[in-house]
Amino acid sequence: MYWGGNPAECHPRHFTKYALMPKSKFLPRGRKDRTAVLVDIRPTKSAKAADIFLQVRPGKDFELITILRALIKDQKVSEEAVAETGITLEQCTDLIERMKKAKFGCVFFGMGLSMTRGKHMNSAALLTLAAEMNAFTKFVAMPMRGHGNVTGADVIMRWQTGYPFGITFNRGYPRYNPGEFSTVDVLVRGDADAAFIIGADPGATMPQPAIDHLARIPTIVLDPHVTHTSNLAKVHITTAPAGIAAPGTAYRMDEIPLPLKPALKSPYPTDEEVVRRIKQAIVKKPFWMPEGAQMTAAQV
Amino acid sequence: MNKLTLRLKEQPTVPLEAEVLSPDTFAELSNEEIRSKTVYHGKRQCRLDDFFDVDGERSDDVEIHGDLHRVRWIGREMSRGRITVHGSVGMHLGAYMKGGEIEVHGNASDWIGAEMRNGLIRVHGNGGGQIGAGYRGSLKGMRGGTIIVDGSAGLEVGMRMRRGMIVLGGPAKDFTGLQMKGGTIVLLAGAEIRTGAWMMRGTIISLKPIQMMPTFSYACRYTPDVLRVYSRRLKELGVSLPYAPQDGAYKLYSGDASVPGKGEILVWDALSA
Amino acid sequence: MLRITGGKVYDPANGIDGEVRDLFVSEGKFVASAEEGRTIDATGMIVFPGGVDVHTHVAGGAINFARAMTPEDHRRTQAFIRSQSRRSGIGGMAPTTFATGYLYAGMGWTTVNEAAVPVLSARHTHEELSDIPIVDKSTLTLMANNEIMLDLMEKGEYERAKNVVAWYIWAAKSYGVKAVNPGGVAAWKWGKDAKQLTSPIEGFTRLTPGDIISQLARICHELGLPHPLHLHCNNLGAPGNISTTLDTLNHLDGHRAHIAHSQYHAYGGDDWDEMRSETAQLAEYFNTHPNVTTDAGAVLFGDTVTITADGPWQHLLYKLTGRKWGNLDVENETGCGIVPYTYRPSNLVNAIQWSVGLELLLLIKNPWQVFLSTDHPNGGCFWRYPEIIQLLMCADFRTECLKKLPDKIKERITLPELTREYTLYEIATSMSAGPARALGLHHKGNLGLGCDADIVIYEEDKDVARMFGHPRYVIKGGEVVIEEGDIRATPDGHEYISRPHYAPDTDEFLRPLFEDCYTMQFENYPVEMERIEKPAIHDCVPNS
Ligand SMILES: [Zn+2]
Repeated sequence: MYWGGNPAECHPRHFTKYALMPKSKFLPRGRKDRTAVLVDIRPTKSAKAADIFLQVRPGKDFELITILRALIKDQKVSEEAVAETGITLEQCTDLIERMKKAKFGCVFFGMGLSMTRGKHMNSAALLTLAAEMNAFTKFVAMPMRGHGNVTGADVIMRWQTGYPFGITFNRGYPRYNPGEFSTVDVLVRGDADAAFIIGADPGATMPQPAIDHLARIPTIVLDPHVTHTSNLAKVHITTAPAGIAAPGTAYRMDEIPLPLKPALKSPYPTDEEVVRRIKQAIVKKPFWMPEGAQMTAAQV
Repeated sequence: MNKLTLRLKEQPTVPLEAEVLSPDTFAELSNEEIRSKTVYHGKRQCRLDDFFDVDGERSDDVEIHGDLHRVRWIGREMSRGRITVHGSVGMHLGAYMKGGEIEVHGNASDWIGAEMRNGLIRVHGNGGGQIGAGYRGSLKGMRGGTIIVDGSAGLEVGMRMRRGMIVLGGPAKDFTGLQMKGGTIVLLAGAEIRTGAWMMRGTIISLKPIQMMPTFSYACRYTPDVLRVYSRRLKELGVSLPYAPQDGAYKLYSGDASVPGKGEILVWDALSA
Repeated sequence: MLRITGGKVYDPANGIDGEVRDLFVSEGKFVASAEEGRTIDATGMIVFPGGVDVHTHVAGGAINFARAMTPEDHRRTQAFIRSQSRRSGIGGMAPTTFATGYLYAGMGWTTVNEAAVPVLSARHTHEELSDIPIVDKSTLTLMANNEIMLDLMEKGEYERAKNVVAWYIWAAKSYGVKAVNPGGVAAWKWGKDAKQLTSPIEGFTRLTPGDIISQLARICHELGLPHPLHLHCNNLGAPGNISTTLDTLNHLDGHRAHIAHSQYHAYGGDDWDEMRSETAQLAEYFNTHPNVTTDAGAVLFGDTVTITADGPWQHLLYKLTGRKWGNLDVENETGCGIVPYTYRPSNLVNAIQWSVGLELLLLIKNPWQVFLSTDHPNGGCFWRYPEIIQLLMCADFRTECLKKLPDKIKERITLPELTREYTLYEIATSMSAGPARALGLHHKGNLGLGCDADIVIYEEDKDVARMFGHPRYVIKGGEVVIEEGDIRATPDGHEYISRPHYAPDTDEFLRPLFEDCYTMQFENYPVEMERIEKPAIHDCVPNS
């Protein structure tokens, strides 16, 4: 099942290499041995690849998933209430029957789900549905992440700080609170007095108040290219493009680490090298935290 | 007891974490000791009097003046006394609170009374999101006490709350009472969508019609006795809750069937005059 | 150079039991004498070899998932505040990498064995390990549910399977082989489990868990791996599983093995209400089979997060607790589940588990066979080991603790009858010399000449938990890393890697299978040696 994602256009190899076409020991006929369902607000190109397309009304994903959670537990939901999602009760019942009959169910959800009204709760809903489906058969769910190596950043922040994102170090140790410490919220509220940006172009994607704030404060950008953000930055350091001219590891969206083997040489330093040199310069300055400071009071 | 008065003299340029702004801290300290208490301006450790004029000492009756919208954690974990703020405050007002009272003549931000256990928080302006909620990952939100916000509120009010009461004078955004496990939320001006989503137990009372989750079902129209009790308690706080049969009754919806839960949403249905 | 003088030395590897001796260190090793350098006056203090954890989960996809799942624990637990010598982090149920190194070293442990690594994400595990400072490390590769290997075993191609196992170990840059719930994790991909050692596994026609165990034990022996098969038996945690465990041991066919966290595998009774301890039977096996070792997997009361490749068990635990559950399937290799859990003394099952772990440590007579572990973080967090040491050394303290348990427990356990108290010499064996020998790390857990100068020095204290929780000095590779509770240095540890022999055509055999079964390119799969920080390679000599 794909939910709120359009792999045919956004992750083209997902069908062929990963989830739909591959032949395997237990699915020797590949695509023919699988049932594919797409749930989205409009019939995208991916709908053609699906056996079943369910067109959910915009903003009704959370409701629809919550209905499915109730129905798998044999709870009653009125036909009219279901119909408001754009999907009929009959369609829901049919879907659930297929889900329960599947030998191994897999839900991939995209930003059509996780970035629309309800956001993290939409993702939570689908993850919960998948967890609860294990009372009947094997079921898993996994997000289809956006561009680049966002999973890698998330994975490393977790092992170094315990948290995936939305972290502050102002008290000398990691604290977490999405909404309070996530980049976009910090910028929109104007909570930061400097910005250091690596491998991202918030100037192209973030809301205007966040971009305005980036332009107000000293913003430093490490990027191989000229970007929206580098144009408004006070400092732009050109770096070697990761994966093309800089080695490293990229984490696939299922958290499988892949080695990056550079094909080209770049005259520019890697991001890592630049950060290392900045760090060396900072070490020469007096340490910012007073000796013996009692920093841990806030629990968030 | 004499009053302790603080006046913001220097507007912080980045958030100021000031959990020392609590009656528990100030009750036994001299003026000089209070002035020297540590606050965190971003990553810098500063003295309280870098930002505040401090008048008085050894008091658990604290009055704070100024635009404190960047000042976070006021009244954190306080267990006694009173804080009165003339101005707006930043996030985490009265989080983990155990007792005493906070009154804000102005707006407050997200996480008012998050995971609080007891006490009273009253905000006369607007509140933010996650009022009385559990912090990310916590299994339980507020476990007791009362929060009253005269104005509007943001997302996820009362998320995973277990006990206690939240009263909102203005409208709330989405996911009010999300995964609620107990306690009561009173919505005088209704809420946007997904009210009571994934509720297990507890009660949401709305005086305005609200959009119901499809996984809630209509049970009956009546006025439970407990409304009389709530009404009396809220009256002391200046909030009136109708319950008289001649004025109308409540429509009871139960859910959320997806859990499946035994939560109740009561929506006031006035008799047309 | 370093001299440690006047301390009471406990060095079981060399039969030294509390003799006052001087130790000399040069270039990270013990030497016969040293003239220069610092002298630590350890008069009146107790000198141990640094602790060795034979079975822990500190790095990789599973523990990292657990970290993300438990922000509520990070908030309430110990914060590691950045200093000029120390990086920031979080302690608690699933500590962050830097904190993991500080916490282990802080209680005198200097070597850790990460016991469950899927080959597919081994690169991730190594990246995390290089962020764990101070301690030396090794990893075990999860093999008992790898579909390619299982297919070979099903077809009876033993020699080929052996080559494939060796190839995988080297591809993962790991140290040995871990088998978790043989066949059961593969069956979990079908939502099933493998509870009978002699029944075919879901998805296979002939192959049974028993076959996998016999063949893997033999493969580990024949490849000449320094550590024998590291085995997590089928039916973990289930009442009545003692019969499965004993059956498993019989399938070893006389080969060496290390049985992981045996506490979870020594229960009688037919259901949760009837559950009881069967440690006497299991201890008897160990007492008569000196070639098999185990670690306790002891349980301590309190909050923790359970992490295991045993997916079906974790789904059951999720249903029992109704709390959070994470599940990871690792393509055709393995999988894992993560469930936060609270062990409560008032809960009869938990109370029995607590008792069973201690019973095994006390009933297995030879401390060279049974090692201190909690299967971190499954039974409790590793930084609580000093509490277990106290329970082992003080029978009175055990009696006190037993009083807090439900009365009903009395006829289900044997702990109240056990009066044995561990001596310091036995503790040193169980926490250091024993696990080092079982891992085949002969230069560890050993204060003899030429061995690694990993030393922990305690100030004698009647409060055993305090003494072991707060060593006066910890020395790693000859460098003082902990002194009076402070971290003084954070050197990078070594990583131990085994290089077993495999037939040169194994690459070409695997390549087409790979293109069939995996979503990753064959060339990208093996972890490159350059990625390992300070590797120490053990070339294996095959046994016939
Ligand atoms: Zn384990």
